[in-house]
Amino acid sequence: MSLEHRALLYGDMESFVEATVPFLESGLEREQAVIAVAREPGLSALRDILKPHGNAVLYFDSARFYEHPVRTLRDYQTIVRQSEPRTVCALAEPVWDGWTELQTREWVRYESLINVVFAHSGARALCPYDTAQLAPRIIEDARRTHPVVVGDGHDGANDAYVDPARLGMGCDRARRFDRPGASEYMAIDGADLHALRAFVAERATAHGLGRRPAQNLVTAVNEVAANALQHGVPPMGLWIWRDGDDLVCEIGDNGFWRPSPLTGFIPPDSALQRGFGLWTVRLLVDLMELRAGWDGTFVRLHVRR
Amino acid sequence: MRWASKAAGAAYAERVRDNPDGQAMDAPWFAKRPVSAVRPGDHAWLAYSGAEERDRVIGTFVQEGLRTNEKVVYVTDAAPELLPGLGPAHRVDVEAYARTGQLRLISRREACLDRRGGFEPAMMLETLGREVDLAFGQGFRAVRLTTDHSWLLSGPGRPDLGPMLGCEHRVGDAVSPSTMAMAICQIDRHACAPDELLALRDTHEVLVEVNPEFDDGILKIVRTFEPNGLRVEGELDAARHAVFAEKLTQVSADRHRVHLDLSRLGFIDLGGLHLLARHATGLPAGRALVLDHLPADVEHVIEMVGWHRLPGLARGDGALPETEGVS
Repeated sequence: MSLEHRALLYGDMESFVEATVPFLESGLEREQAVIAVAREPGLSALRDILKPHGNAVLYFDSARFYEHPVRTLRDYQTIVRQSEPRTVCALAEPVWDGWTELQTREWVRYESLINVVFAHSGARALCPYDTAQLAPRIIEDARRTHPVVVGDGHDGANDAYVDPARLGMGCDRARRFDRPGASEYMAIDGADLHALRAFVAERATAHGLGRRPAQNLVTAVNEVAANALQHGVPPMGLWIWRDGDDLVCEIGDNGFWRPSPLTGFIPPDSALQRGFGLWTVRLLVDLMELRAGWDGTFVRLHVRR
Repeated sequence: MRWASKAAGAAYAERVRDNPDGQAMDAPWFAKRPVSAVRPGDHAWLAYSGAEERDRVIGTFVQEGLRTNEKVVYVTDAAPELLPGLGPAHRVDVEAYARTGQLRLISRREACLDRRGGFEPAMMLETLGREVDLAFGQGFRAVRLTTDHSWLLSGPGRPDLGPMLGCEHRVGDAVSPSTMAMAICQIDRHACAPDELLALRDTHEVLVEVNPEFDDGILKIVRTFEPNGLRVEGELDAARHAVFAEKLTQVSADRHRVHLDLSRLGFIDLGGLHLLARHATGLPAGRALVLDHLPADVEHVIEMVGWHRLPGLARGDGALPETEGVS
């Protein structure tokens, strides 16, 4: 079962409704599990129009569904899994305002990863993009992340589509990895990470992180450090600094590693699969960056207070 | 009688509150100690689940006493070779210890039964007082007292709980200020009703348990017997995976379902979750690894990744037990 992943370019509410309602109804006809994740006021419009179908369609507000790309991908995967043996028909409208440059890049990557994670799910996804509101480069990115583009004069064919692994590589290459001089450093030597955890927990609390995010950061740092101890090359250490509301932790080692650009992005089926650790680290923090270069392997974790 | 005296000092072992919600104002406070940390002044309680747990606690109590020039007083009708720490496997020369007075096995009739065979608390107290007095004169630095009360609470013609509670209170009053005497009262936790067990437990200030399987100050692993499993306290990380996996394998050897009491687990790394799932999937079909009393922070991580990604792990009891030292 293949995946149908289309971007819908729309300019006003009328064209939004004209395209999305038949899409959702076709899902109901095919006895798919139908969900509508959309921004307001489009979401309310759909609820009204599709009222005759009662509870057959599940509705989610994009503002709540799109808060963290790795978690959103996980949530879609949960829906796909729980709907089995039915396949899923999803209207999936992302949120593009309010993100930093870094976050926007991760959301673009997320859209691209859909093509990999659900490749064999038999799902159909239609992702609306509001051409009247969104910046042109967001629309350009939509063309790079969706094999098919419809609406606004597009007939489906899209030669701007980029393979997810290549797109991911591009995201990583665009990254700057300078570190402020005011960062604190703690060497990671010996096998016991107890002191490192205590250090990070103390800095997290001082930064004003809540108990849960602080604990999550400690778990994430511990995982990356344990991974460096197991696979990396000394010297290794942790840098930690504040960047506005963000607390940033970077764990580096001198090892040479060439991870796939999809490493740690694909939700593993179980904790026993490779990649479980890195994927969970991405879930635990607000944003994780990985840079594997000639000078070593560096994992940067961001948590906002 | 001479119980010797000591200033009332606070127990330095961690104190655990009976009722985790803190609502019950009259809830007693206990010190919980591994058996090797029991010391003079302790009037301790062991509600054992079976012979293995009893033998590991009382056997250690008895043997450590004999090894360190302390007197051991055991009120029992059982033959010495059937007693914890004194059986053939332990190669203890019971008769030699008995000759020197370091080991005193006293029958119930002699220790605490009246002429009609009824339980007489005052006699028990006199017996214990006498033995402590003697020990002082014999030059022993301490006296370890123990007896199993289970027989009193089961079988026909069992006395009311009242005299027993009274007896325990008086023993406690006598032992607590002592600089020489320490006592462990044993009971088979299945010998009486749960409320009676609680009432009896509450007459003790110290809960005794087996020595930890492992304790490096960061991670502590303690064997539990009912349910069968381990209590994991502190922080479980990569530096401690190997020892934890070893203990987990040991406790999974028989056909019992394995429970992990995680109520005092402060941290588990992702490798630790992986380890749990890997162990659980290696168990015979249908035998889950049960995680009891998951702390909120740990449960949060599990829920974030999803229970289905941790095959073989099952969520057990949620709330902390309110019956510490009993169940």
